Amino acid sequence: MPILEVRELRARYTSAGPEILKGISFDVEADDFFAIIGPSGAGKSTLIRCINKLVEPSGGNVRFRGEEVTRLRGRELRGLRRNIGMIFQEFNLIDRLSVMDNVLSGRLGYTGNLRSLFRAFPRVDIERALQLLHRVGLEDHVDKRADALSGGQRQRVGIARALMQDPKMLLLDEPTSSLDPKISREIMGLIKSMAQEYGVPCLCNIHDVALAMEFCNRIIGLQDGVKMFDGPAELMDRTKLGEIYAMEVL
Amino acid sequence: MPLVHETAFAIQLDHENLRRARGPETAEMNAPSNGAGTDAGATSAATAATADRLLADRRRRRVGRLVIATVLVAAVVWSVDVTIVQDTDWKRMGSLANVLEAAGEFVGVDWGLFPDLAKPALETFMIACLGTLLGVLVCIPVAWFGALNITPFKPVTYPLARLMMTLSRSIHEIVWALFFVAVVGLGAMAGIFALAMRSIGFIAKMSAEAIEDIDPGPVEAIRAVGGNGFQVLIYAILPQVLPQILGVVVFEWEINIRRSAVLGLVGAGGLGLVFFRQMNTFNFPGVTTVLLAILGIILIGEVVSHFARKAAI
Amino acid sequence: MSTGMPSVPPGAVAHQLRWSRYRFPDSLYGYAAWIAVLGFLAFSVNYLDIPLARIPDMFHRMVSVIASRYYPPDIEYIMDRDYLDYVVETIQMAYLGALFGLGISIPLGWFGAFNMTPSRRFVYPVARLFTMGFRAVHEMIWAILFVSILGFGMLPGVLALTFFCAGFAGKLFAEEIEAIDMGPVEAMRATGANLFQVMVFGVFPQVRVAFTGIGIYTWDVAFRAATVVGFVGAGGMGWYLKRAVLQIETERVAAIILSIVVLVMISEVVSAYARARVMKMK
Repeated sequence: MPILEVRELRARYTSAGPEILKGISFDVEADDFFAIIGPSGAGKSTLIRCINKLVEPSGGNVRFRGEEVTRLRGRELRGLRRNIGMIFQEFNLIDRLSVMDNVLSGRLGYTGNLRSLFRAFPRVDIERALQLLHRVGLEDHVDKRADALSGGQRQRVGIARALMQDPKMLLLDEPTSSLDPKISREIMGLIKSMAQEYGVPCLCNIHDVALAMEFCNRIIGLQDGVKMFDGPAELMDRTKLGEIYAMEVL
Repeated sequence: MPLVHETAFAIQLDHENLRRARGPETAEMNAPSNGAGTDAGATSAATAATADRLLADRRRRRVGRLVIATVLVAAVVWSVDVTIVQDTDWKRMGSLANVLEAAGEFVGVDWGLFPDLAKPALETFMIACLGTLLGVLVCIPVAWFGALNITPFKPVTYPLARLMMTLSRSIHEIVWALFFVAVVGLGAMAGIFALAMRSIGFIAKMSAEAIEDIDPGPVEAIRAVGGNGFQVLIYAILPQVLPQILGVVVFEWEINIRRSAVLGLVGAGGLGLVFFRQMNTFNFPGVTTVLLAILGIILIGEVVSHFARKAAI
Repeated sequence: MSTGMPSVPPGAVAHQLRWSRYRFPDSLYGYAAWIAVLGFLAFSVNYLDIPLARIPDMFHRMVSVIASRYYPPDIEYIMDRDYLDYVVETIQMAYLGALFGLGISIPLGWFGAFNMTPSRRFVYPVARLFTMGFRAVHEMIWAILFVSILGFGMLPGVLALTFFCAGFAGKLFAEEIEAIDMGPVEAMRATGANLFQVMVFGVFPQVRVAFTGIGIYTWDVAFRAATVVGFVGAGGMGWYLKRAVLQIETERVAAIILSIVVLVMISEVVSAYARARVMKMK
């Protein structure tokens, strides 16, 4: 059974505005590293935010582990979100907090208000954070402020924060677009190996086709809110890429 | 699983420990479950030690914060005791019902008062406008003297301007009005002077800061074409800071409308005078009416300033 | 001019050769606005009977009034033990007013910030309305209203300052929250954090320094207001000022004003130092 089923997903930002997603369907399996490629403005970001309802879809269904997502609200929605880790293009770290607190913030979905207020996370969380920081290679930067780190290091903190959630799936929103090519490759490799270690499937927005072909096993191509390609990465070829990126070439 | 490193083994083992430590309800970690590495025990001990250190740090910081919080709370308790518990005439105030009754007297509007309000409302508005204008005029030399990069003779003019700014802001408009009533007599004139004096500080300070932050490029360019000091001021400095200064002036003008409504308290004309007359004759609905009139002119001020700010940008 | 270049319409050539700073409709609106403003100001001077001719004379009078009536200030009067008690009370009043006001203004700023408000349709307008209401009414008017309801004393003063500070800081807080980077907020939402946790982790670290600065500034403003609310019977040094004014003890008035200025300046220097320290932590 697929872990995530998306059926006929539609989205628009204002009721009168243009439709960003025009009926997208796909399935993510439990061991997938799933890529969404397409030119900028194709609706990749919107699609990925519809999965954890940071953007409200206007139609269609999203089922996560057999549970319908689109209807969730309040506490149930937060329960869904804590099961889905997210890594962002601009890292979205809290700059003025330490690396440790940033990673710990991944546990918020499990933590009460009073503990949140005093940042009094349980010891197991702190140990888990230390292990994750060790794994992403930041064990020497635990007490640094997040804004003192380089771009690659910041994204490593983002990865640790997402895995801190104990997620059942990871959403990656252009995780390497703000990084240079060499570091991009390192980060993608780190995400992939950690996703495998923790047995977490990934759904990844990615602009860079070469990276997508290298790291992902399945690819869908979006163009202007419509799915143009869906299949294993090996089947992707120049002509199909040409179709997907037609808009950009023009 | 092809990509498992030694460190990953270590983490797995730790997860096993954690699972035990946490008990069944949180044992949902997704660690892979194959064999353990050789140095796992050492890493785990190191992690535990670091966690101990971090927790101790956090506890210490929390204690520090607690001490500060205690001092602040103690100050609050003391102040509440002195200012509220001891000082208040609880007998005169009576029960909550009495207080509500007293407050309830303000409910209602004295419609008959409206025709008498037009003139003082207009006066209040005019006092605010003229007070701001006068303030801006006085500000020009103060801002010029008070901006480090253009002040004419730093050792004298700069501290002079700074003193002027602080003095202007330190003294409440009521005190300024008292002073000017004593000097120029009762009436709108005292109010205008009071508002002008009170406005100088803020406008001059913000303007001087804006002037200090300008891009020196245009200044250099105007100097290079042979411009004199005055021309540099007009062509290089003023265009850069004018939108900002205009914004500050409009902001101050809005505040001055509020202020001018109370200057009547010390005899400087406007709506304040009507307000106190209503208060002294115990015509509480009339007080509400005057308050509504004040809100009305403030609203006009906000609308005008909204458009003025748009035009300034 | 047009005969030389038959292929181009004559108007276009003329347009290229002639340049004017003044374009017809736009310049007209601008000038009309300026003339209207100046006209209104001139009318105001006339309406309020401002004796423009006497203004130069007034400076002379100002100096002589200060010299003859307000000088020398009666320093002994303000060194009195009772007066110092009033000073302490004024400080306490300002402290409580600023603290309570800041307490109210934090939720007010949160609910009144368009990007973070729990409900844009209901909570946001209500919070904005309260902030505007607190701000629109001058602190002296709040003081008068509370004195008339609760009687003389420091309680009405504290309440007046509370309302005043809540409006003052509430607006600044809301503006500060509206200026944050929404990225961390989105990240916190994605972890499954609730509204309160998003506030504590996503928003508060970003605005903490600014809030501290605004808090110090609020104290400053509150203290300045606290020195005069006593004028209408709401406690503190203002009461002394009023009494001296009514008794026409001008030398005492001068001394009291002097003490207010000195205290406010001390408070300003201290808070400017504190603000600079806080801003350095950024």
